Amino acid sequence: MSIDWITVIAQIANFLVLVWLLKRFLYRPILDGIDAREAEIKRRMAEAGEAEKKAQAAEAEFRQQQKQLLSDQDAVVKQALRESEDQRDSLLAEARAKLEQEQQDWHKHLERERQKFTAQLQRTGEETLLELTRKALRDLADESLEEAIVRHVSARLRPIAGELSDAAGDSKEAVATTRDTLPEAAQALLLADVKSLLPGINLRFESDPQQSPGLVLRVGGAQVAWTVDSYTEEFDALLNERMAAGASGRIQPAGT
Amino acid sequence: MQLTPDDIIVFTLAGWEVNATIVNTWIVMALLVGISMLITRNLRPDVPPNRWRTSLEVIVKLIQGQIEEVTRNSARHVMYFAGTLFLFIALSNLMLVVPGFSPPTSSLSTTAALALSVLVAVPVFGIASGGVGHYLKTFIEPSVIMLPFNIIGEFSRGISLAIRLYGNVMSGAVIAAILLTVAPFFFPVVMDMLGLLTGMIQAYIFAILATVYISSATAEPDAPALKKEDKS
Repeated sequence: MSIDWITVIAQIANFLVLVWLLKRFLYRPILDGIDAREAEIKRRMAEAGEAEKKAQAAEAEFRQQQKQLLSDQDAVVKQALRESEDQRDSLLAEARAKLEQEQQDWHKHLERERQKFTAQLQRTGEETLLELTRKALRDLADESLEEAIVRHVSARLRPIAGELSDAAGDSKEAVATTRDTLPEAAQALLLADVKSLLPGINLRFESDPQQSPGLVLRVGGAQVAWTVDSYTEEFDALLNERMAAGASGRIQPAGT
Repeated sequence: MQLTPDDIIVFTLAGWEVNATIVNTWIVMALLVGISMLITRNLRPDVPPNRWRTSLEVIVKLIQGQIEEVTRNSARHVMYFAGTLFLFIALSNLMLVVPGFSPPTSSLSTTAALALSVLVAVPVFGIASGGVGHYLKTFIEPSVIMLPFNIIGEFSRGISLAIRLYGNVMSGAVIAAILLTVAPFFFPVVMDMLGLLTGMIQAYIFAILATVYISSATAEPDAPALKKEDKS
């Protein structure tokens, strides 16, 4: 048993080298790795703690909201019922207004249709009346309607000829207006009557498609006329009475 | 019969006879460093450790825990020194079972070198910790009369460290060699198993004693020094 001092020195050197190598390749990497992992775990634990706190806060808030919601449930239901009733009333009012508007529109439409029908019926009645009268006169008296009208107007002109002359004043013209142009025979007859009754006054003939069938004689501010208006007005009154009776479901007996 | 591997010359390098103690030391060093490099490469904190890394971590943390129990602090430089002592002695003693391998620790030169290292490390750590004055003051405590005894104690514990380790390892090898001649098929196996156990215990004791010596040198003057009984 002896000590080899050269070996001792070599072993001391070997040991110091080994300390440095293990420090470089074993202790430092392992301990640094452990420290880094511990730091990472601490960081994650802290994050997890924060997340848990947030989750607990969210849970508490949720439970509070749930509690509040349950307590407010009756009020919410009442509010919903009230709102639904209000909405129903609003919708009903809107529907009623719309219905009334439609009814008014319908009445207006009916009125327009009635007026249109009445006007058309009036025109047709006038035409029919004239034709029938013309035919009756021709068949019974062998006379034209226009000449009969001229004679009727002349007959009405005769008693008031003086008043008409005064009404003419400075005007020396009379105007005979018809819807259709008078036949020449009727024109000649009227011309002769005017000359005899209103001497010094010239007669001029005009036609107006808007005028009712008949004859209107204007002298200054006065006029003498015969038109079928008076007959058609009676016809309109009778027709309106019958239509009103039909609309109300009652039929008035004729002549009452 | 070879009692020490110092007498086995493996090769000669530029007139210097390299014996089996040094060569076997290099083998043990290569094993320790190679395994460490292999396991600790590409270490990243975000990658889960594998079983090898975990094993190394367990060993290192065990060493650190033992040192912290003795020194009450986690000074890394003490761990580098004492941990290397433990790992080197433990692996050397474990390689007793390798046929034809003479553990470097069975050489008195190796144990003397390790003891000298401890003998030098104690004042170095003490001076580095508290300064020269503080270290020298420990020699006259509790009184000046104790100065020669403290100096003798300082050297004797280094010698005792060396002789203890050498004796235990070498005796195991010698007993195994003697029993091999008496009962070659049974007793050597039992003795080798016993040698593994005592080898690990010797490594632990050597490292712990070194730590205790360093700890006593680096302890605060007023703090109670934590010294373990030398019961080996």
